Amino acid sequence: MRTDSKPRRVWQWGDVRQRKVGTWAYALNRITGLGLVLYLYIHLGVLSMLVGGPAAWDPFIKVVRSPLFYTLDVILIAGWLIHGLNGLRVTLTGIGLALGAQKALFVGLMVVAAIGLIIMAFMVFRS
Amino acid sequence: METQMDNAAARVPAASWAWIWQAITGLGLVVLLALHMVAQHFVAEGGIRDYADVVAYLRNPLIVVLELLFLITVTAHALLGVRTVLFDLGLSDSAEKRVTQALWGVGVLTVGYGFWLTWVITR
Repeated sequence: MRTDSKPRRVWQWGDVRQRKVGTWAYALNRITGLGLVLYLYIHLGVLSMLVGGPAAWDPFIKVVRSPLFYTLDVILIAGWLIHGLNGLRVTLTGIGLALGAQKALFVGLMVVAAIGLIIMAFMVFRS
Repeated sequence: METQMDNAAARVPAASWAWIWQAITGLGLVVLLALHMVAQHFVAEGGIRDYADVVAYLRNPLIVVLELLFLITVTAHALLGVRTVLFDLGLSDSAEKRVTQALWGVGVLTVGYGFWLTWVITR
């Protein structure tokens, strides 16, 4: 029976020390998920500048068309790819598919994420 | 032999409504996010539209419908995820109910804000 205190339980899912691939996959999904939620609200907040019309918005886009923001875009895309593809694995196994191949599925999907990230990073910096 | 991933903390009651919606919205986001990224960023010069371009883009009613559907879907998915993380803290039944109600409120405000913003830009 578990006797963990609440603070321990808060941190439990993020503690990947000496754990198997599944715990890494789970922690990765949560970390990217929480990061994406934070980004969603930052993005919605930034879009409020559109209310100010071109005088507010157009100078802003000059700022974000920079290597620093393109790098942040690539980090964001990495989060989407990892979370989305890992989420696909969670959905498949949640409906009882590929239960015996979860590790291979996770590794394979992360390879797809890495390839996708390289392609999209190229597209971001080329734009 | 390890056939199941070591993921005890992830176990949720089978077919809970939240899990089903999380999966449905997640799959929906694969399509809607791809459309959003291509239409809003990858085809726009410099990866982002200027104000005139944003207004022109939102003149298309189909685009407005797709972007608002994207907002609803991503908000639902995000807040269902937050709910899952919070529930894993081991909340009481009444606290879980309050969290669900609060997140519904946040979701309605978020989507309402998106509709308002779209209306302000396109009016």
